[in-house]
Amino acid sequence: MTPDPGATATQPRVWNLIAELTYRCPLRCPYCSNPEAFASIRDALDADAWGRVFREAAALGAVHVGLTGGEPSTRRDLAAIVRHAVAADLYPHLVTAGIPLGEDGLAALRDAGLRSVQLSIQDASAAASDAIAGTTCFERKLEVARAARALGLALTLNVVLHRHNLANLGALIALARTLDADRLELANAQYDGFALRNRDALLPSREQLEAASQVVATERQRAKRPELQWVLPDYFSGRPKPCMGGWGRSLVVVAPDGLVLPCHAARDLPGLAFWNVREHSLRECWEDAPGINAFRGEAWMREPCRSCPEHTRDFGGCRCQAYRLTGDAANTDPACALAPQRDAIAAAHERAGDAAAWGYRGS
Amino acid sequence: MDVSDPEDLWGPADFEARLRRVGTERYHDKHPFNLRMHAGLLSRDELQTWVRNRYYYQTRIPLKDSAILGKSADSAFRREWVQRLHDHDGRAPGEGGLELWLRLAEASGLARDEVASLHFVLPGVRRACDAYVDLVERADLLVAVAASLTELFAGDIMVQRIAAFERHYPWVDAEGLAYFRSRTTAAPRDAAYGLAFVTEHARTRADQQRCIDAVERKCEILWGLLDAVEAAHRPPRLAASAMLREDYERPGSLLAVLPERGVRINESGREILDLCDGVRSSDAIATVLRERHPDVAHLSSDVHEFLDQMETLGVIDRDA
Repeated sequence: MTPDPGATATQPRVWNLIAELTYRCPLRCPYCSNPEAFASIRDALDADAWGRVFREAAALGAVHVGLTGGEPSTRRDLAAIVRHAVAADLYPHLVTAGIPLGEDGLAALRDAGLRSVQLSIQDASAAASDAIAGTTCFERKLEVARAARALGLALTLNVVLHRHNLANLGALIALARTLDADRLELANAQYDGFALRNRDALLPSREQLEAASQVVATERQRAKRPELQWVLPDYFSGRPKPCMGGWGRSLVVVAPDGLVLPCHAARDLPGLAFWNVREHSLRECWEDAPGINAFRGEAWMREPCRSCPEHTRDFGGCRCQAYRLTGDAANTDPACALAPQRDAIAAAHERAGDAAAWGYRGS
Repeated sequence: MDVSDPEDLWGPADFEARLRRVGTERYHDKHPFNLRMHAGLLSRDELQTWVRNRYYYQTRIPLKDSAILGKSADSAFRREWVQRLHDHDGRAPGEGGLELWLRLAEASGLARDEVASLHFVLPGVRRACDAYVDLVERADLLVAVAASLTELFAGDIMVQRIAAFERHYPWVDAEGLAYFRSRTTAAPRDAAYGLAFVTEHARTRADQQRCIDAVERKCEILWGLLDAVEAAHRPPRLAASAMLREDYERPGSLLAVLPERGVRINESGREILDLCDGVRSSDAIATVLRERHPDVAHLSSDVHEFLDQMETLGVIDRDA
């Protein structure tokens, strides 16, 4: 009579659809995970087209859809999209910056069947948070958080952590408690795309990370709520992250233009052909596109991954990171302490510092 | 502010005050369930659940004390400590603290054999009590004795409890309160010996700190026991953020989908979740299922275990 938590089937099965509804966003965070060429990628799917994607995802086994972006609430048809998700029997989860959404917008989405909200904040105070977001929005975010609780929606707060806000971890946790969040996702920045450009300024010191780990441990002891999601990041652990739970294994991304991807960033990997839901069924895009099959399973792995017992857990790490830091996506992720190119990580630590400048997304 | 050298021993009075402060802050007399018990607010069912489950704790005490005896090479210590075994087990059948607790169970309207069988002990209670025995077994003699020092706070709670039972729960036969009466004198005597022992044998500040830590851990264990008893009476219901759906890969099974995870639920789990209507307590759910499946062993315990897991995962909520 024991529950069997999690999606750990060995065969690929879509459990989770990441629906990137648009790359438009009023925020300009310097670690944005959207493609650097986001401005040239148009919203090509209307609400009905998303409805078709949702139904096809459910047929592949998906039970959950993350409605994300960009900022999904920049789409005026967001409530219709939520209704399509509910009709397809998917669990709809909104990933939002809170603007232009607002309280009324959130209430409309709840009425359409939304179950839960992940709201981003950038730091624990208005001045610091707005400085990273590149726009004034902190107070409005707090209103959305309060509205989420008042509407009976599950609330996750998400904050991307880096050199300039790690010291405020205690205040962030206190804020999440005040807002009665169910979870606080303490997401250490991942250095791809814009974040890689700004890495010298964003990458924290080892001392900062260790202090933050201590804060998390202490706060977890102090109270059950909110659940604190914290993982020692790959740049510091010497272990590669099991990126997306394995390439093309359980999670599928559909980008605003309809491209079907194994992760948010794979579009920028050279030489990989991904397919588009405007031209193929989602099943074809997931099962047959050459790009998505390129790094499925273990056949593509080189040493040291191929013979390493860890590869069934970490899947060789992140393909995008391997490409960005070594020039070849089939290499072992240099975040692994066993990777031949691990010096790339050491070099990044040496360059990082308080004096480094950073730029906003799109600047 | 503490400005003393961390290498320095605390004086006996200071050390004792620090040990007692743990009780002031964390002893289970402050647990909401205990407060409700003493205020006369427990239902008959709740009180019975407590009596039935606390018996498991009573049965672990002699195991713990036997482990402590085995750690000492000092005859004088063992002569003193063995008194605790006699207190709990008696010198003959029909005597001792365990027997008195079973009489309390009978006086509370429970079947003696059912309580003695330990079949209906809540998994959370079992975990808490086993953690105590485990703590003592792993510890050295000093820490093992220190963990017993919650007895420093036990005399008072027993006096309050007798008064509360007489006043609020008159349906519990007064004869049944003999266990509590026995502890009003035994607990302070035992505590005085234990306190003198740790005061003499904690020879460094670090030893003293380990004693304080042991009392804290023991308080957590007692608190956890009451948490589990309390949870058994809070009616579970499906969490607002959880969505149940069929698992097409496994006919008959369910998937509980949550904001950040999915949980597979087999057919037995599904039967339990179907009974989570926000009205029935977990005990009531276990009773329904026992009647439905009289031949299944350990069913109560499995039901509570399952519901505890579902609560941790966020599939169900329990109202206060």
